[in-house]
Amino acid sequence: MDSLMERAAPCPAAQAGSVLLPALHLPLLPPHLYRPATSHEHKLNFRKSKEACLTYIQDAMLQKQWKRAAEFLTFYIESLEKDFSTEYMGPSEMIWRIGTEILCHHSYSSMKDFNSFIEQMKTLGVKRYLKVCLEHAFHLLCNGQTDEAYQNLSLAESWRFGEQTTAQDKELKLIQAYRGLLDYYSWSKQKNVLLEYDKEGFEDLSVEQEMHSSFRKAAVNLKEIIQIPGVWDVFVKCYVDLLEFYGDHDEARQVLSEYAYNSKFPANPNAHVYFYQFLKRHGEPKKSLISVLKILHDIVPSHELMIDFNTMLQKSKKRKKRRLGLEVIFAALDYAGWKENVKAWSCLARQVKQIIISEKHLDWIKQEWNSRKDWWPAFHFSRYLAKRNWQENESLAYEKALVAGILLGKDCKYFKYVSHQGCKDQKKRLRTLKKFVNKHSPVYLRISGLSDSSVQT
Amino acid sequence: MAFPAALFPSYFGAGPPGEAGGVAPAAGWGEYGQVLGARPGPRVAETTFVPRCGRTGESWEPADVAAVPFLRPNASCWVPSLVPQDILYRGVLHRKLRSGKSGAALDFTKQLGHFFVDHPEDAFGSLGQLLHKNFYLGNAKLRRQARDTTIRMTSLVEEINRLEARHGCPQQHFTSRVRWFSHLCRDWLFEVPLDLLADCVHDELVLQWASLLFDDSSTGGALAWLPPEDAGAHTGCLVYPGGQAMNQLYFQDVVVGEVPRTRGSPAQFELNGRIRQVAAAQLDGEGFVGVRSDYHCGVWKVPGRTGAAPTPLQVIRTNVPASCLTVSPHLPGELAVCTQSGAVYLWSVETGLQQLRQDPQTMFFRDHSPWRWSEFTAHPRVLSCADRTGLQCLDARAPGRCHLDFFKVGEEAGCQQGERVVLPMYLGRAHPSQHLVATQFAVYVMDERLPLVPVLKWAHMMKDPPLFAHVVPGGPGRSHKVLLGASRTQELLLLQYTGGSESACQLAGPPQKLHSISGCLQHLPAQLPHRHWLLQQRLGAPAAGLAAVPHARGQRESLLVFQLSEAGDVFYQTLTHEAAQPRAPDGEDKDEAASSASPMLEAPFGSTPGSPPGSGGEEEEEEIFYLSNLEVIVNEEEEEEEEGTPAASEETQHPEEPCASPHPLPAVPSPAAAVRYRRWLKALFRDWQELPRHTGVRGPPTISQKRLFTRKDLGPPAGTSDLHVRARQQLRRAMREQGRIRRWDLGPDPQPLPQPVEPAAWPDALSARLTAAWAGDLSHWWEERLGLNMAQRQRALRERRRRQKRARGHRSLSASFTSSVTYQSELSELSDGAPAAAPAPPLSPGHPEALPQVFTEAWGGSLAGGSAPGGSTPRRPPPSPPPAEPLLSSQTLRSRGIPKERRKMLRDYLAVCTEGPPEPLPEPPGSQPPSQGGQLCIPSSQSQLSGSQPRRKRPRMGF
Repeated sequence: MDSLMERAAPCPAAQAGSVLLPALHLPLLPPHLYRPATSHEHKLNFRKSKEACLTYIQDAMLQKQWKRAAEFLTFYIESLEKDFSTEYMGPSEMIWRIGTEILCHHSYSSMKDFNSFIEQMKTLGVKRYLKVCLEHAFHLLCNGQTDEAYQNLSLAESWRFGEQTTAQDKELKLIQAYRGLLDYYSWSKQKNVLLEYDKEGFEDLSVEQEMHSSFRKAAVNLKEIIQIPGVWDVFVKCYVDLLEFYGDHDEARQVLSEYAYNSKFPANPNAHVYFYQFLKRHGEPKKSLISVLKILHDIVPSHELMIDFNTMLQKSKKRKKRRLGLEVIFAALDYAGWKENVKAWSCLARQVKQIIISEKHLDWIKQEWNSRKDWWPAFHFSRYLAKRNWQENESLAYEKALVAGILLGKDCKYFKYVSHQGCKDQKKRLRTLKKFVNKHSPVYLRISGLSDSSVQT
Repeated sequence: MAFPAALFPSYFGAGPPGEAGGVAPAAGWGEYGQVLGARPGPRVAETTFVPRCGRTGESWEPADVAAVPFLRPNASCWVPSLVPQDILYRGVLHRKLRSGKSGAALDFTKQLGHFFVDHPEDAFGSLGQLLHKNFYLGNAKLRRQARDTTIRMTSLVEEINRLEARHGCPQQHFTSRVRWFSHLCRDWLFEVPLDLLADCVHDELVLQWASLLFDDSSTGGALAWLPPEDAGAHTGCLVYPGGQAMNQLYFQDVVVGEVPRTRGSPAQFELNGRIRQVAAAQLDGEGFVGVRSDYHCGVWKVPGRTGAAPTPLQVIRTNVPASCLTVSPHLPGELAVCTQSGAVYLWSVETGLQQLRQDPQTMFFRDHSPWRWSEFTAHPRVLSCADRTGLQCLDARAPGRCHLDFFKVGEEAGCQQGERVVLPMYLGRAHPSQHLVATQFAVYVMDERLPLVPVLKWAHMMKDPPLFAHVVPGGPGRSHKVLLGASRTQELLLLQYTGGSESACQLAGPPQKLHSISGCLQHLPAQLPHRHWLLQQRLGAPAAGLAAVPHARGQRESLLVFQLSEAGDVFYQTLTHEAAQPRAPDGEDKDEAASSASPMLEAPFGSTPGSPPGSGGEEEEEEIFYLSNLEVIVNEEEEEEEEGTPAASEETQHPEEPCASPHPLPAVPSPAAAVRYRRWLKALFRDWQELPRHTGVRGPPTISQKRLFTRKDLGPPAGTSDLHVRARQQLRRAMREQGRIRRWDLGPDPQPLPQPVEPAAWPDALSARLTAAWAGDLSHWWEERLGLNMAQRQRALRERRRRQKRARGHRSLSASFTSSVTYQSELSELSDGAPAAAPAPPLSPGHPEALPQVFTEAWGGSLAGGSAPGGSTPRRPPPSPPPAEPLLSSQTLRSRGIPKERRKMLRDYLAVCTEGPPEPLPEPPGSQPPSQGGQLCIPSSQSQLSGSQPRRKRPRMGF
């Protein structure tokens, strides 16, 4: 039965070589696909049936009928015979793409089929060779065949053909970079082996040598790609790891700051994060950490590191920095993703509480609140949210109620609801909260600008 | 929300898009894009790689073979949207233009004509009033005094009417009177100067043509779903437009399940314009629904508890058509509005409109499209603002200063040349900082925290750009589902992606095509051609909206996808999650489906006014009709409607191509779906039949009979007999009922048999000449007549003798030919007429064809003008048949077996008969009645040869 099925659904890899053999006959296919086309009319017909065939393939693939798509593809391969198209994507590329996709999902395909199909595809078009190689390597990598992928990449790297287009240049760089990445992984494997040996008191020179050669190969390739503008998180991380291991901190620092601050690169938050983490690892002073995070705050105010940033700033003795801390936490809570972040709310609650108790810098709160008072109540402090927060996360409700009580007064819906529920449930924590808010109720008037009395600075 | 620790590698370039591509049919397949190494844990040494695209996703399988109607059909006479045929020129010129490849030719004159007919007051108002007294439209003659100041326009009007009736006729020529009138009046008759008007019409045509090529007015879709407040409840609210002009807004409570049901009747609002877009957001337990029509935007509030009526909150009017309306997912009562003038407003129900931007220019490079779009972002005060060239983020607190380039059509996102933003969408429900940007080639997922660089890109390969999108957020560890819908081709794709916070974004699994509305056509029972055509039109109407509802009952998860078409029909399909439990036993499922289907469909359907009383029996019949799936039950009535739609069968093949691909297995819809199809069809056709005739734009084409004949033709002829009266009555009735003119019982006395044709009886020169002409050797006859050369003449004599001999020998053959001709004409009649009617025996003398006889009488009467009381003469040959209109068409002649070269002659001859007033011939009655001229030219050579045969009773060769 199985062999029968095999025959009924030949995979394109097997068919690619035997195009001229009588293929599986399907009643749906226009008969003139089999005839050689000569006249102009035939050419048109051939084109039409090619398109129709492609439509069938697309249709089958979009409905996940891989077997059916494969059968159609065996017919479509015939379109290669008259590939005079000057179109953007010729039939050979389409066959490669469609064939790859089918082989990835077809239940009868094996890695062997895939490889042989790809090898044929590589010979089909010169311009696409590198791209096909790269994708082949990806496929091997995703299937855990790292060594084969490495071989493949090395082979592709050594390939030369006339002048390169910019796209090919980019692909070649990527191939080198991925090879560098694989070198890095083997390096780190060898490093781990050596570390194990170290622990046990062994010494293995050959492994060490191998490791160093891996390092050299990786470093060269990785260094090259990270100088081109792009998103190279993995490559940068690996390269920095290499440099750090060999103690080249300056170079690492240079690479990271370049990656973060070169204006030709996209505003990638990870670049700043990596730099921050590097600085933190190496015990750099708070000041430089803060300046890195300040820039991160400017580009992504909703980054999760903002909590760390806020904590760091709150601990600072400088007024300006504490002020910035308040700004940071308010800004973070503007974002929908932070709405239910207990940590952030507790940060805000703590800082607001501090300010109220110290009775200093109420104007900071006032200024932050000014631009938010028209929408924060509906955004954060609605009765509906109070109910839901109370049901789902009591501590969140507590922190928010505190902030709401201070910012909006004790009559605000959120505070009222939470304190009411809290009193019902005899929560001690809430009683103190209520007491605190009641005690500081005049603050609300001052913050909201309702009271004309001069604000203390 | 966390940011992924490492993103997939990608190049970042700046500048205009690099490669010039185009729609590549397979661009989305077979690529991993990039891979990312990830170590599952510190202990595991081996690195695993994950691809950006090509990972396996969740499996969602359609539960049925096609989309199923959810609501009863929208008002049947929907105003169909413009199709190319409406404004393109059709005719000779068009064919010429097409062969010259000069593109589409817009039919300018037709549109201008429409304007004059539809708005006569605007076109001719004041001059019409001025000239009112000087134009006389009656039939009576003008008095002498009046003749000085008044012109009689009746004949001109008649001529114009006749011109219109002959529209498309190749013989059409303008009479001098019409030409004279147009020449005289062209300069001063029009209220609006003709040049100006023409400019306007031309501009409008160009606009319409542009919108035909790509209509972005329905971007965003006009279907919205408001989920139930708590996840446990299963009743949500579907908001959709309906009505003939799609200007009714409905809020329908829907109980979700694998088979959704409506609950109660929908709340309904009538609006002031066609609804283009319905946007909705749910927050704080309340739904906010924004509705956009061209010049008005409105917002409704839908209370959270079910059954509560939605309340309209506010309406704004814009001077320029609005192109976008989105509802804030963060703050109640906030919306974003864009107009085609390039303005972006933040609209708060409480505080009113705040203008954020006003720029008629596009953002990154110049593009002519006035389309603008705006979406909310993760920050409630920051709005994204899009045009065709990209997206920017605007801070509403300082709109002038703070803006951030978010997406650029260019090298940054790896775009192609010519790529344009078609639909941006905030994916906040899936991930608070993600946006979807769709272009005509690809979809991009963007992260606000990493502007300009798409975190995911996939070439969607759709034939039409996606105008609707819907996101169904997946829970933790699950994929987010994005549905993309195209308008014109009704394509519907399901994409899955994961990531965004802990891990980088990945496309999960290959995209999946869902059923389109038009796909259900093949599962509907076979229809008569015109109904099939109607259905095809109806189901093939462009899509207008899309909504998806996830639903879970226990382990069993399903996804309901609702689709709205421009005709206002709402269809749905259910996708079931493969990991879920296997389907329930069929019987149970069916029962559930049937029981759930009935309350929803029965109630509104039953309440249809004027439902036929005998519908019970009909229903049973239709049931058979459906389930057999092949059997076509035809009743007489339907068939009569069927007549006169030769065009319908032609057109059926036309709009088929988008769904060319056949299904591998002709799967059958489930019984529950079949019930729904049946009910939907029934309601649709019932509505359609109830339409007043004059609005039946969808019906089979009819020809106005008012203008086919002149008044004189229809006036009572001089010699009115009883037969005339009856024939005329029959004719009129047939016309009134738009039925077929067919044989009817003429009463007891059958017409006298036509006498056999005897060419030898007319020895005169004319007859001989005509006979010769008919036989095809006129030149020979002529030469013979002139006596040009003796040798030839002798040869001719010999020839004649031989012919006579041959004729004798061929008698039996010619007889058989005649009968075969008779049979032929009989056949053609059969194909014209009702198949049910029993054909008359070919040579039966008892049932002559009544209508031709009557026509003959009537025509002969008016022709002869009473000059020849031929009816009384015993030798009178059968009355000459009428050169009735159909006879003159070459088709009819061909079907009668008349050779091509003679058709024109015959036509000319008959035309002489119709037009020329009858002149009484000097010959004595009986020998040569004038109408015999017609007779003479008719017999073919065969009948000429067999003329002496007395047995031939029906000279039906043509008559």
